[in-house]
Amino acid sequence: MTNKKRINNKQKLIAALPIAALLILFAVFLAVVNMNDYRLDMYLKIVFNEALVLAVVATGAIFIYTLGTFDISLGASTLFAATMGVMTYNYTQSLALMILVIFAVGITASLLNSVLASVFHIPAFVTTVAMMSVLSALSAQIITSFGGALGGISIPSEVIKPFDNVGFKAALLIIFFVVCFFVFQFTKAGRRMKFVGGNPLCAELTGIKQSKYTIIAFVMAGIGIGLGAFLTLCYTPSVTTTTASSIGMNIFIAIVFGGMPISGGARSKIYAALIGGFSYILLNDILEIVIDSSAAYGITQVISAVFFLAVVYVTSMNYRTALLPR
Amino acid sequence: MSTPKRILNALAIPVATLVILQALCLFNGQSVISNMKSFDNFIVYTAIVMITTMALSINLNSGRFDFSLGSMASLSAVIGAKVTYMILSGGSGSAALMLMIALLSGVILGLISGLTYCILRLPPIIVSLGVTLVYEGIMYTITGGKYVMTEVQNQSMSGLTGTWIYAAFIILVVLVFMIFVFDKSAFGYDYNALKSGQKVAVATGINEVKNALVCYGICGGLMGIVGTLNAARNTTINGGQLNFGSIAIMFTAFLPMFISGYIGRFTNEKIGFLLAAICMSLLNSTFAVFSNTVNATMQSIINAVLLVVFLIYLNNKDMIKRLIKA
Repeated sequence: MTNKKRINNKQKLIAALPIAALLILFAVFLAVVNMNDYRLDMYLKIVFNEALVLAVVATGAIFIYTLGTFDISLGASTLFAATMGVMTYNYTQSLALMILVIFAVGITASLLNSVLASVFHIPAFVTTVAMMSVLSALSAQIITSFGGALGGISIPSEVIKPFDNVGFKAALLIIFFVVCFFVFQFTKAGRRMKFVGGNPLCAELTGIKQSKYTIIAFVMAGIGIGLGAFLTLCYTPSVTTTTASSIGMNIFIAIVFGGMPISGGARSKIYAALIGGFSYILLNDILEIVIDSSAAYGITQVISAVFFLAVVYVTSMNYRTALLPR
Repeated sequence: MSTPKRILNALAIPVATLVILQALCLFNGQSVISNMKSFDNFIVYTAIVMITTMALSINLNSGRFDFSLGSMASLSAVIGAKVTYMILSGGSGSAALMLMIALLSGVILGLISGLTYCILRLPPIIVSLGVTLVYEGIMYTITGGKYVMTEVQNQSMSGLTGTWIYAAFIILVVLVFMIFVFDKSAFGYDYNALKSGQKVAVATGINEVKNALVCYGICGGLMGIVGTLNAARNTTINGGQLNFGSIAIMFTAFLPMFISGYIGRFTNEKIGFLLAAICMSLLNSTFAVFSNTVNATMQSIINAVLLVVFLIYLNNKDMIKRLIKA
C-alpha cells in the first residue's frame, strides 16, 4: 500500500469515528439499561426528547459555525421564543398563532444578531453575548411576573399533546435536516459559507459579500431556534427560567463531538450536530444511570468532559499543526 | 500626540461616565457614592472587574478564547474556603489565608488548563469547554452541589470587603505585577511578540508553550483572587454550578475589556483596565442607588445595550464622524 493510500485510509477512519462513537454509545446505553432492568422504551424516549432539541438547534447553528464564528445566545433565544409562544397562547388561545410567534421570535432574535454583526461590523460573538443577556433577562422577567421562578408559565398539556409523539417529532427533525442538508451541500449559499469560513479575505476578494451569508446563516439558525422552542414545549408544556439554559454551550460540544472543527470552513459537516447531539446526550444518560446518586452529577460531568476531549483529540488528529492552535 | 492630550483622552470616558451618572443621581436627589459603605463597595467591585478583565484579556488578546475563567474562580475559592476553614475554623486571618490558598489553587488550575491545551493541541475554545466542565464537576463533587456558607461567613472575610483599603491594596499589587510582567520582563516581550505574529515569534526562538503556560497560570491566579473577593462580597459560593453555570462571570468583563482597549490607545493598557473597571463600578453604584426602580432585568439590558452601542461607535467611528460633518 502506498503512503498516500495509507494516509487516505487513516483520514477516512478518523472521519468515521464520530459515527462509530455514536453506535458504540448506543450499544452501551442499551446494555446499561438492560442490566439495570429499567424500561428501555421509557429511557429511549427520554434520550430522544433531550437530544432532539439539541440536535435541531445545533443543526441550524452549523451555518453560523461554518462561517468561523459562534452564537452563544442560542439557548437564551430558544427560551425567549418558547416564553413568547406560551404568552401568546395564553392571551389568544390560538395554537397557530403560538407557533407563528415562536418562529417569528426565533428568526427575529437571530436576525438582530446578524444585522448588528454585518451592518455595524461588530464581532458576531460579542453581539450574541449581549443578546444572551437581554433575552435571558427578559424571559426571566416575564416568567417570574406571570408564573413564578420555579413553576414558570405554561399552556394546557392537551393543547400540545397531539404533537408529543416520536413519529411527529422524528418527521420534523428529518424534514429540517433534509432542508439544511440541501442548503448546505447543494446550493451556492452553502458552498460560499464554507468559503467565507475557510478564508474570509479570499472570499471577500473574489466578490462574495460576507454580510449576505452572515444573514442567511443566522436565519437558518433562527429557524432551528423556533423549531427547538416548539419541540421543547411539545415535551414539557411549561417554561421556567432554566428551560433550554444549557443548549447554548452544549451546541459547541455537540458540533465538535460530531467531528466538525469549531473554526468552520470547508471541513464543516451539516450532520455533525445530529451525530454529536445524540452522542453527547447518550453519554450523559449512560453516566447518570451508572453513577446513580444526586452527588454523582459532578462526577458524571467530569467523565463526560474527559470523554469529550478524548474524542475531539482523536478526531482532530488529521489537523495537527506545529504551532499552538488559536 | 502630546502627553496632556493623551491624559485627557484616557480620562475622557471615566470622567464622562462620572458626570453623566452623578447628574442622573443628583436629578433624583442622590449621589453615586453617598457614604463610606458605598465607597467600600465601589472599590471592591472595581477590583473584581479589573482583575477579571485582565484575566480575560491575557488569553483573548492572543486569540485564545477561555470559557473556564468562571469555573477557576469558583473552584479555587471553594478550595481556599474549605482548606482555610479546616485550619483556622473561621478565626482571625481566615481571609488572608483563603486569599493565599485560592491564589495558589488558581495558579495550579490555570496551569492544568494550559497544560491540557499544550498537550492536546486542540483549539483553546474547545479545551476551555472541557476544562470548564471538569472544574464545575469537581466543585460540585466537593460541595455536594450546595452553597458554601459556613466557611466564608466570618468576621475576617467580612473585613476583607468591609473596607476599601484591602481592595485598593489588591488593585495596586495586581496593577504593578501586571505592568511589570507584561511590559517590563522578558516574558512580556515574548508574549507581545507572540500576540503580534505567532509564526515569526516562534521562528525567532521564542518558547511558545512556556509562554502559554505562564499566561494560563497568571489567569488562574487572578481568578483565584476574584473568587475570594466574590466569596467575601456575596458571603457564599455557589457550589452547584453545573453545565457551564460558571461562565457568566466572564461576560461582565466584555464591556470593560473593550473600553480598556479604547483607553489603552492613549495610556498603558493596564491603566486602561483600571479606568474601565472604574466606569463599570460607577455604573454598578448607580444601579444600587436606583435599585428600587432599576431591577436586575433592566440592569442586564442596560449593560448589553451599552456594550453594543460602544462597539458600534468603536467600529464605525469614521462613518459616524463623516455623518456628523455632513
